[in-house]
Amino acid sequence: MAFGGAALNIIGALFLAHAIYSAHEHTTTFPTSPLPLDITIELLVSVLLLSTGIVFSSPALKPIQWAQWSGKISREGQQPEAGKKTREGEQILGDGDMFAFLGLDGYGEGRRGFWDVRGKRKEYVGWVKAGGRA
Amino acid sequence: MPQPNLLTPPASIPPATALALSQKAPPILSKSPTSSLPWPLSLLLSTETPATWTIHENLFFAALRTGDDASARKVLDRLTSRFGADNERIVTLRGVYEEALAQNEAELQKIFEDYEKILREDPTNFAVRKRRVAVLKSLGRTNDAITALTVLLENSPTDAEAWAELSDLYARQGAWGQAVYCMEEVLLVMPNAWSAHAQVATLHYQSAHTNSPPSVSALSTSLRHFSRALELNSSYLRGFYGLKLASKALIPLLSDAPMSNSAKKRAAENGDDDDVPPPKLQTVKRLEELATEKLAEIVRNYNAGKKGWTGYQEVEVLAAKELLDKDGKVER
Repeated sequence: MAFGGAALNIIGALFLAHAIYSAHEHTTTFPTSPLPLDITIELLVSVLLLSTGIVFSSPALKPIQWAQWSGKISREGQQPEAGKKTREGEQILGDGDMFAFLGLDGYGEGRRGFWDVRGKRKEYVGWVKAGGRA
Repeated sequence: MPQPNLLTPPASIPPATALALSQKAPPILSKSPTSSLPWPLSLLLSTETPATWTIHENLFFAALRTGDDASARKVLDRLTSRFGADNERIVTLRGVYEEALAQNEAELQKIFEDYEKILREDPTNFAVRKRRVAVLKSLGRTNDAITALTVLLENSPTDAEAWAELSDLYARQGAWGQAVYCMEEVLLVMPNAWSAHAQVATLHYQSAHTNSPPSVSALSTSLRHFSRALELNSSYLRGFYGLKLASKALIPLLSDAPMSNSAKKRAAENGDDDDVPPPKLQTVKRLEELATEKLAEIVRNYNAGKKGWTGYQEVEVLAAKELLDKDGKVER
């Protein structure tokens, strides 16, 4: 859909530019006569095309209901936002579980403030000794 | 499998991911985000962004856990030169570094005393107070950790993270009442936290199974909290899993002894906490069907690798599949 939207935008912009140019030329050559109907129609059509194109090429709407929004996060996980990176080359991610810091989902990293550094180091050493396979 | 990310580390970091994270250290450490020029010029030439320091902090944790202490030290030095050695957060990070390098309990004990000294000078440093609790926990002194946490919470009763930790400590000791109380405090601070509702439900479920037969009121409270978690998150695997377990435990109890009206009234009168009558058998059965259906949907879509269904943890999906298989495939 994004591609179709971009195409509509380009065509719309071309028609709009052409309509404006024609209107300008017409008013300089015949300052007293009214604008011909075809230029008016072209202008309106181009604006219509552009508006449709902008709607189609905009990103998908986010859910506005809490349960739908959080359900989406659970289902899809945290997704990277297209093309956004920090200077260090880390991707910038979209919405994630905002309550993960409570460390209540058993598998998680737990609470950062009470991070058990020694336990984690032991776990890692154990993993390396076991051959480094997950 | 998403890319290991230092800016927003994944919810769970198994050793393999930790290794991938800490291997990002050399390129990050090779170029300095701050400039060495004198003040006005340094402002123009520095490349730091707020994300820079989050990445450094996460790199520090990843390096420490994979035993890459040299990199951790470098990151810590960089953070210290940027924010100063007295910054609360830097003091805490330094403490974590020392804890990681402590060889034996005596050294850990010494770090604990250092924390006490810091707290005597500045009792408002909550990050260090939390580290102190973590050290006590790692020394195996759970009761002292609980006492320290209760003091912390008296001073800062809206700290949801600390309440959650205290609840966890109580639950490990089997003190279900206290654990539930602490989780309810978390709910007061964050009423929308679906994981907190699921945790309250889990605690009620576990406490129900300490008696035999399991107590109906605890199980129905558990059922209610799981349902609330699902109201807050429509695709919450843990919620559906728990809903299924709780309703499965509740169905035989409700159908064995259909409570007479007088018994219901009595329960309503003497119950301080459980003044709500248990749910109807019909409702519980329908909830169980719903949970089974949703779990099956999640397992099916996750295993098919369908787009938009891959965000679950593999362990959790496996557990759900096991539960469904144990239940027999007749219902689906």
